[in-house]
Amino acid sequence: MISQLFVLSQRGDNIVFRDYRGEVQKGSAEIFFRKVKFWKEDGQEEAPPVFNVDGVNYFHVKVVGLLFVATTRVNIAPSLVLELLQRIARVIKDYLGILNEDSLRKNFVLVYELLDEVIDFGYVQTTSTEMLKSYVFNEPIVVDAARLQSLGPAAIFMQGPKRMPGTAVTKSVVATEPGGRRREEIFVDIIEKISITFSSSGYILTSEIDGTIQMKSYLTGNPEIRLAFNDDLSIGRGGGSGYDYRSSSGSGAVILDDCNFHQSVRLDSFDMDKTLSLIPPDGEFTVMNYRLTQEFKPPFRINPLIEEAGALKAEVIIKVRADFSSSITANTIMVMMPLPKYTTRASFELEPGALGQTTDFKEANKRLEWGLKKIVGGSEHTLRAKLTFSPESHGNITKESGPVSMTFTIPMYNASKLQVKYLQIAKKSGTYNPYRWVRYVTQANSYVARI
Amino acid sequence: MSGHDSKYFSTTKKGEIPELKEELNSQYKDKRKDAVKKVIAAMTVGKDVSSLFTDVVNCMQTENLELKKLVYLYLINYAKSQPDLAILAVNTFVKDSQDPNPLIRALAVRTMGCIRVDKITEYLCDPLQRCLKDDDPYVRKTAAICVAKLYDINAELVEDRGFLESLKDLISDNNPMVVANAVAALAEIQENSARPIFEITSHTLSKLLTALNECTEWGQVFILDALSRYKAPDAREAENIVERVTPRLQHANCAVVLSAVKMILQQMELITSTDVVRNLCKKMAPPLVTLLSAEPEIQYVALRNINLIVQRRPTILAHEIKVFFCKYNDPIYVKMEKLEIMIKLASDRNIDQVLLEFKEYATEVDVDFVRKAVRAIGRCAIKLERAAERCISVLLELIKIKVNYVVQEAIIVIKDIFRRYPNTYESIIATLCESLDTLDEPEAKASMIWIIGEYAERIDNADELLESFLESFPEEPAQVQLQLLTATVKLFLKKPTEGPQQMIQVVLNNATVETDNPDLRDRAYIYWRLLSTDPEAAKDVVLAEKPVISDDSNQIDPSLLDELLANIATLSSVYHKPPEAFVTRVKTTAQRTEDDDYPEGSETGYSESPSHAAEGSASSPTSSSNAPYSTARQPAPAPPAPAPAAPVPDLLGDLIGLDNNAIVPVDQPASPTGPPLPVLVPASTGQGLQISAQLTRQDGQIFYSLLFENNTQIALDGFLIQFNKNTFGLAAAGPLTVPQLQPGTSATTLLPMVMFQNLSQGPPSSLLQVAVKNSQQPVWYFNDKISLHVFFTEDGRMERGSFLETWRSLPDSNEVSKEFPGIVVNNAEAAIDRLGASNIFFIAKRKHANQDVFYFSAKLPRGIPFLIELTTAVGTLGVKCAIKTPGAEMAPLFFEAIETLLAG
Repeated sequence: MISQLFVLSQRGDNIVFRDYRGEVQKGSAEIFFRKVKFWKEDGQEEAPPVFNVDGVNYFHVKVVGLLFVATTRVNIAPSLVLELLQRIARVIKDYLGILNEDSLRKNFVLVYELLDEVIDFGYVQTTSTEMLKSYVFNEPIVVDAARLQSLGPAAIFMQGPKRMPGTAVTKSVVATEPGGRRREEIFVDIIEKISITFSSSGYILTSEIDGTIQMKSYLTGNPEIRLAFNDDLSIGRGGGSGYDYRSSSGSGAVILDDCNFHQSVRLDSFDMDKTLSLIPPDGEFTVMNYRLTQEFKPPFRINPLIEEAGALKAEVIIKVRADFSSSITANTIMVMMPLPKYTTRASFELEPGALGQTTDFKEANKRLEWGLKKIVGGSEHTLRAKLTFSPESHGNITKESGPVSMTFTIPMYNASKLQVKYLQIAKKSGTYNPYRWVRYVTQANSYVARI
Repeated sequence: MSGHDSKYFSTTKKGEIPELKEELNSQYKDKRKDAVKKVIAAMTVGKDVSSLFTDVVNCMQTENLELKKLVYLYLINYAKSQPDLAILAVNTFVKDSQDPNPLIRALAVRTMGCIRVDKITEYLCDPLQRCLKDDDPYVRKTAAICVAKLYDINAELVEDRGFLESLKDLISDNNPMVVANAVAALAEIQENSARPIFEITSHTLSKLLTALNECTEWGQVFILDALSRYKAPDAREAENIVERVTPRLQHANCAVVLSAVKMILQQMELITSTDVVRNLCKKMAPPLVTLLSAEPEIQYVALRNINLIVQRRPTILAHEIKVFFCKYNDPIYVKMEKLEIMIKLASDRNIDQVLLEFKEYATEVDVDFVRKAVRAIGRCAIKLERAAERCISVLLELIKIKVNYVVQEAIIVIKDIFRRYPNTYESIIATLCESLDTLDEPEAKASMIWIIGEYAERIDNADELLESFLESFPEEPAQVQLQLLTATVKLFLKKPTEGPQQMIQVVLNNATVETDNPDLRDRAYIYWRLLSTDPEAAKDVVLAEKPVISDDSNQIDPSLLDELLANIATLSSVYHKPPEAFVTRVKTTAQRTEDDDYPEGSETGYSESPSHAAEGSASSPTSSSNAPYSTARQPAPAPPAPAPAAPVPDLLGDLIGLDNNAIVPVDQPASPTGPPLPVLVPASTGQGLQISAQLTRQDGQIFYSLLFENNTQIALDGFLIQFNKNTFGLAAAGPLTVPQLQPGTSATTLLPMVMFQNLSQGPPSSLLQVAVKNSQQPVWYFNDKISLHVFFTEDGRMERGSFLETWRSLPDSNEVSKEFPGIVVNNAEAAIDRLGASNIFFIAKRKHANQDVFYFSAKLPRGIPFLIELTTAVGTLGVKCAIKTPGAEMAPLFFEAIETLLAG
C-alpha cells in the first residue's frame, strides 16, 4: 500500500502532498527531489522510475513537466503504483480540464477531495472519473486554456492549421458550459506511434506500430456505443511459433500482434463482425491498445549521405520523401543528426524556394537540426550541409555521425490501415444526434535511419 | 463556489488568526465555508492554525458535505496535537456514522480511522461494527479498510471485538468492491501478524476467482496478489486456476497483467503436462511484449521482470528478441535493461542481427550506453563459443574508429575473452597494442597490462611496452600498479634476460619501499621471496593455468531466482533483491505521533527533516541507496592475477576502512530487553568492558540483543559493530544504539539484523564472528554461535497433507537423524509449546510401540522446509530426531538447535 503521494513542480516545489499512513518521514519529497536531480548511479544520469533510499521506496512518473510521486515501505507491485500515478494525473485532468501547476494550486481543495476518494489508507479505491463524480463535490475552477499547454494525446490535434473544432479536449467533464447546457459530443481518437529503423542501405530492419484508441465522452446518460472496425481485422499472428510469419503486404488484411481493452468493453460480437460495444464512462480513457509488426508502408523515406570533401570538410545530404497521398499533410517535422565531435561549423543550403524550413547546428551536442513546418504527401525535400572539422585528428566520419532520427505528426493518417467504420450511439430520441469526432493521427516514436 | 481558491493564500494585513476566527463564527453559511477553506489553505502551506480548533469543529455539524469534508481534513491533521479538544468531535462523528446519507456514514468512519488518538479510537468500535454490516456497499467497503487502520493502531481491539470475523464474512459479499477491500485489509493484517489469520482455502479461492471477473481493475490486483499465496494441491487444480486467470492477460491495466503473469508462473510450477506449459508460454508472450508499448516507467518495470522470467523460461520470448532492440528515444534506464535482455536472448541463430544492433549502439552519443553496448559484445563472445570470432571482429572494427572510450571498453572485454578462450585469438594483440598510449582509464590500462604479461612470450617488444608504464608507476592507481607488478614478474619468468631483470628490480622496489598500499606491498614481498628462494616454484604459482571463466549473463543465484520469481510483479522483482533486504516497515505507533500530518505546502522548510530522516531509517539497511542494480549485476570477472596476497581475516581492515555497509554511528538511546544474555567478552578480557549478546527473534524479525557493562574507569562511547561473513549472511540492519557509557553503568540494545548480506562460502557453520569497537578501547573480537531456531519463519506451519507429500517427494538421501541420549521429554504439551514458540510447528502425533512419534515442520527464509520426526518415550531418557529437508547440509546446525530447545 502507498504511504504518501505528492506532486512536485519541475523546480521541486511541493504542489500537492498527501500522507496516507504516516510511516514515512515528512521530508521525503525533499529527499526524493535531490536524489532524482543529482542521480548518478550505475553510470546512468537519469533516475529509474523506482528506487529505494534508506528503506523508503520512491515511484515517479513525469506528466507534462510535473512529477507525480508515491512512497511506500513495503514490497508493493510497482506496476500498480506507476499505473496509478498516471491515472491520477488523468483524473485530475478530467476534472480540471487542464493539468498544470497553476490549475493544481487553484483547485487544491478539489484535488485533495479527489485524492481522498481515490486512495484510502494507501489502497486504491477507484480511478474512474465516472464513479468519483458521486463522491466529489467541489467544483473546478477552470484556468485559461489558451496560453497553456494541455495534457494527453488529444493535445496533438490542437497544433497545426487544421485545428479541430471546439475546445472540448481541454474542458472539464464536470464543469458546465457558460450557456448552462453541455454540448453533447464524443471524441474517438486513433493514435498510432511508429517505430522504424532503416539500415544504411534503406532496408527496414525493424518496424512496429503502437496504437491506442482514446475516447472522451461528454454524452449525458451514458448511452451504449458501438465501434465497428474493418472486416479484415484479426488478432494474433496465426498458429505456430509465428515469428517469421508475415502476411504478404498488399493483401490488405490488418493483423494485430496483440491488443488489450478497457474493462467496459464487451467483445461478444468482435469475432463475428469486428465491433466493440461499450458504455463509455465519463472522462478520457483508453478503449483499446494494440501492437502491430506486420509490414506496413512507412510514411517517410529518409536518405542520408555523408561524404568527405577534402581533409577537414565533409558534405551531408539528407533527402526526405513523403510516401503518402497528396491530400494529406504532415506537420511539425524535425530531422536530427548527430555529427562528429570535431565538427566546428556547418553551413546549410536548402532547396530553392523552400518555405517554413529552419536549420540549426547545435554546437553543444554537435547536432544538426532541420525543421519543416509541413510536408505535403508525395513531395521530397533535400537539405545540404557543409561541415568543417577542427584540425585535430579524427577517425571515420561516417561511423561517428548519425543515425538520422525524425519526429513528425500526420493528422488524418494511420499507417496500420485500422479503420473505425462507424460509431453508433444508442438513440434516446429521434432528435438526439450528438457530435461525433473520429480522428486519426500518426506520430513518430523512434523513426531512425542509420548511415 | 466562485473565484479562485488561490485567493485563500493571500495574507491579510491585520492579524490573520483573529480574522479567521471571526469568519468561522459568522452567521452566514457561505462565509463559514470560505473561512474553513482559508484555514485549510494556511494548513497546506505549513502555517499553524491549530488554535482555531474549537471554531472549526463548531462548523462540523452541517449538512453540506463539501464543508464537512474540509472540517474532517482539518481534524485529521490537528486532532493529535489537541487530543482533549478532539473529544468534542466525537459526538458528531458518532452521529454522522448513523446519518441517513451513506456518504456521510462512510466519511465518518473513514475519518475516525485516520485519527490516531486513543479517545477517538475507543468510540470508533461501535460505529465500525455497524458500518461493516451496512446496507450500502460504499459504507461497507470503507469500513473494511477501516479495520486495517484500527489493527494498525490497536491490534488487540480488533481481535477482541471480532472484527476479523466480520472482515472474513465480507469476502462473500455480493459487491466486488467490498470483497476487494476486505481481501486487501486481511492481507495487510496477515502481513503484520504471526498468527494465521487469512488462509486461502479452496473455498475462498473459488469465491475470489468469481469476484475477480466483476471487480475494478485495482480490486483485481488485490485479489490476484492475495491468491498468489495459494498453493494448489495438484496439477489439475493449478490448470483450473490458470484457466480462470488467463483472460486477465488481455487487460489494459498493466498491473493486472503482471499480477496475472505472476499467478500463472506460480501455478505452472505444478503443471506437469509439457503441452499445457508450452501453450501457456505462448499465451504469455504477447501481453509481456505489449507492456513494452506502455509508458517508459512501466516498460522499465516490465523489463526488470522479463529479465527474471527469461532466466527461468527462456523459451517464452526466444523469438521476440527484436522487440528488445533499443529505440532511439528510449530513456537510458530502459535502454540499459533492454541490452541485458538482448544478451540473455542472444543465440547462435540471432547473433548476427544482435551484433549489428550492438555495433550501431556503440557509435551512439550517450557514453554510458556505448560502453555497455561494447561490453555486451564481449559478453556474447563469452557466452556463444561459435560466435566468438564474429564478436571479436566487431570489436576490432570498433577499435579502429578510435573513439577513446570505445577502445578502452573494448580492451577490457577482450581481456575477458582471452580468459574464456585462452591461446585462440592472440593474433589481434598487435592491433590492441596500437592503442596503448591512448589508454587513460585504470581498468583499461590494467586489462592491457594483463594481456601483455599473459602473452609476454609472443609479443616481441613486451618489455618495451611494459617499460613505458614503469616511469609513472608511483602515480598509477592501485589496480594498475598490481597488474604492472604481476605482469613484470610474468615477463621476467618467461624471458629471464637482462632487461626484464632490471625492470623487476625497479618494480619490486617501487612496490615495497615506495608504497603505502598494503595489498601491493604484500604481493610484492611474496613475489620477491618466491623469486629469491625458488624461481621454479614462482613459475608454478605465477604462470599457473587459470581456470576458464564462463558466461556471466545468467548471474542470479538459483535459490535467489526462485525467491524473486515468487515475487514477480513486486518491488522485489524490480530490485532483484529478496523482500527482506529492503522492507523495513516497523510497527512503531508511538513514533508516528508527530509525523502524520495532512497536506504539506511548498513554503515549509524542511529544517526538521534530518532528525526525522534518522528516525525513519533507524532500522533500514544502512547503505545509503539501494538502487535497483546494485546486487543484481556483478562486475565482469576480475583481472585474473593469481592474487597471492593472503586473505587475512579482515575484520579490522573493514572496521577502520570505509566499508560503511555495516558501520553505524552510535548516537541513540538504548532499548531495554529481558532475560540474561550469555557473556561473550568477560570484563577480564575486555579491559573492564563486558559484552553479552545473543541472537533473538521477535515479531518475525531477527535481532542481536546486546548488553554492554562498563567496569572501566572512563566513559566509553562511539560504539560500532561489525559482523564477519557468515553462513547466513547476517549483518546489522541499522545503527548500534548505545549511549555514552559512564563508568559502572550498563546498556542494553536490540540491533535489528538482516540476512543474506555478507554470505560466506563453504559448508554451513554456526560461527558468528563479531567485532565491536568504541572510541576509547581497542577492537574486541568475539565468536558467537548462531542457533538455527532464530531463523525459523512464522509461516513454517504445514498442512498434514503437504507434509506427507513433501516427505515422500524428498529423496531418502535428504534424511538425517541423530540420537540425543541425554535428553528427556517429561511433558509433551510443554515441549510442543516450546518448539512452537520457536516456529517449529506441531503437525501430528502417533504411537509406535511404547514410544510416541511427533511430527513437526519448520521453514528457513527463502522457503527451505524442515520436516521433523521426534521419537521418544515420554519421561524416559533418550530422544531420536530425524529430519528431512532439501537443505540437508544444515542438519548439524538443526540438531544443535533442537537439542538446546528440548533441553531448555
